[in-house]
Amino acid sequence: MEQLELLMGGFASALTPINLLWVLIGALLGTAVGVVPGLGSAMAVALLLPVTFSLEPTAAFIMFAGIYFGGLFGDSTSGILLNTPGHSSAIASTFEGHRMAKSGQAAKALATCAIGAFIGGLIATTLVVFFAPTLVKMATVFGPAEYFALAVFAFMAISAVVSESVIRGIAALGLGLALALVGIDGPSGTARFTLGMPQLFDGISVIVITVGLLALGEVFHVASRIHRDPVVSRIETKGRARLNLTDFRKALPAWLRGTAFGAPFGLIPAGGAEVPTFLAYGTEKQLAKRRNDPEFGTTGSIRGLAAPEAAANATAGTAMGALLALGLPTSATAAIMLAAFQQYGMQPGPLLFERSGNLVWALLASLFIGLVILVMINIPFASVWAKLLSIPKHYLYAGITVFSMLGVYAVSSAVLDLWLLIGIGLIGFLMRRYNIPLAPVLIAVILGPMAETELRRALAVSEGDLGILVDSPITTTLYLVLAAALTLSAVQHLRHRASRKR
Amino acid sequence: MSITQNQADAEAGTEPQGKHKPGFGTGRSEFVVVAVLYTVAIFLTIGTVTMNVQGKSAPGPQFFPVIVCIVLYLVATLLAIQILRTPKVPDNSIHPGSGQFSADMLHDLGHLGREEDGTFDDAPPQTPVKTWKTYSDWRTVGLMLGGVVAFVLLLEPLGWIISAAALFWLVAYALGSRRTIFDIGVGLLFSSVIQLAFGAALGLSLPSGFVGGIL
Repeated sequence: MEQLELLMGGFASALTPINLLWVLIGALLGTAVGVVPGLGSAMAVALLLPVTFSLEPTAAFIMFAGIYFGGLFGDSTSGILLNTPGHSSAIASTFEGHRMAKSGQAAKALATCAIGAFIGGLIATTLVVFFAPTLVKMATVFGPAEYFALAVFAFMAISAVVSESVIRGIAALGLGLALALVGIDGPSGTARFTLGMPQLFDGISVIVITVGLLALGEVFHVASRIHRDPVVSRIETKGRARLNLTDFRKALPAWLRGTAFGAPFGLIPAGGAEVPTFLAYGTEKQLAKRRNDPEFGTTGSIRGLAAPEAAANATAGTAMGALLALGLPTSATAAIMLAAFQQYGMQPGPLLFERSGNLVWALLASLFIGLVILVMINIPFASVWAKLLSIPKHYLYAGITVFSMLGVYAVSSAVLDLWLLIGIGLIGFLMRRYNIPLAPVLIAVILGPMAETELRRALAVSEGDLGILVDSPITTTLYLVLAAALTLSAVQHLRHRASRKR
Repeated sequence: MSITQNQADAEAGTEPQGKHKPGFGTGRSEFVVVAVLYTVAIFLTIGTVTMNVQGKSAPGPQFFPVIVCIVLYLVATLLAIQILRTPKVPDNSIHPGSGQFSADMLHDLGHLGREEDGTFDDAPPQTPVKTWKTYSDWRTVGLMLGGVVAFVLLLEPLGWIISAAALFWLVAYALGSRRTIFDIGVGLLFSSVIQLAFGAALGLSLPSGFVGGIL
């Protein structure tokens, strides 16, 4: 039980007043961006990345982790109260959650979400603490071919397997890989696609890309619809958010089932919490049918809300594990956090535990602290958070625009970065307009350089023989699993196309 | 390229209009994306061919760009074919994570039925009463784009406080706020607080412009 000792050490360094302050700030910010539709934790971390450079890495990551979890605590509020899920990770919680709100149980629904998110996150983080060393040991046997296979797996899983349109997903992936190519090529020292501009020798900053796609792109998207989309009405929450013992007993098995769905998905680069939340919802629905639950689908079942909520945060918890131990980002927010590690000159993966063990364990400890703080600021103040839904959009987005400009300019005080930001912002707008997913771009930008280096390294060793890429049991398994997933997804797409033609 | 596109459309799509006949272009505006993909691919191709390769490592620095180029040409062409065969007008259905997830797949995973599909029906109607010639509000987008371009041009001559306040006001105006004096005040407050907090406390250097020269 070496982990427990290390974790205690982590708690000791995370429980300093200043680090507690960062956890609290992260939790508050995360809940806020989760509650407000269209923002989300990925955008918040991207916007804060440049201004946190002057912080100590531990403080910055503690805050980011608070934001990641907080985003999933707040995300179901708009779905429950407005019936318009603000984030796709909250769609599955909207069905039963809004029914509960309509039948006068809005406060109870919000409390179910908060406790569900807490339980899911808690179990997943505990799993990470116990299995992280195993993952690290697994990762130490990885060679260039294995890392390349892992990158290909992440690329294809996020762009093709779960996406609405395979072509659009891969188009996004290609754009991301292209953006990552700009700059001086490490192994050979060749300047690539820099147009001779010295400012581009270091490549296009990840901050410019993430802020452009996630923040400025969203601002343009909101501008294109704000005078056209109808205004939605909000259900007022009455009373304090609390659950009585009967509710708690009813919801507990659902929370645990949701966690069981969510936890494994954090390790798979399937884009985040959406797939497990739907799986969890589907299971609760089948179970309700079997036991003839009259609430499900009418006045709203607490179980149908509890399971997806726990699933979402469990995904976030294990995603942190995959990020820290393997260096594998499995969602957009995790990808940006990986970029943050790289900005501080650290590379998540086995070496991180060795070289920056203190930071890793302090971060894991602060995840637990963050969850406790989040549940404390979410249950008693659920209706206060809901008030964020009435912030005037024009001020919100004006602030985001100014803040994007600030962040990008702060990176290197270069006006060229601002022009790139506008260009990438327009691409982000086009992608939203035509439903082209953004996550593949982020994953490609962040894992692209690694994929290229490892591929070239592998081929240099084998002197050009492509066989080395599939030569070990690990790579063969990864490619086989990927092929199976792609086949399943193709069958799924074709079946729906056929049924629509009929 | 996409910038000029926006400005051209911004003028065309200002007035609300009645029903209009579907032409060849209807539902095929996604060709803009095809154009972006081809542009990036051609840029990469030229850059790869004219690359001044250093060192003699094999595979060299041109190896990966070639793969990316092939992928980009391929998806751009496939996307063009798809748009030609099945034009797509914007619908009001939900696209989870802007196309990140297949709604059909989530539908199956969640065992969704008619109850869930109807969930969003009793929400306010998603189709607006008025119809517009273009789906996107190019006037507002154009205004915002003009705002950020002006900001970048004016940042160094005017300094952070003034240009950021102006940008704040313009975005708020474009998005529908009509309290001009108040908005300018909020903008000035916001930009000054940022200048103080990030410039003085965290040590980021923000341009002070001519105001800094006077003070």
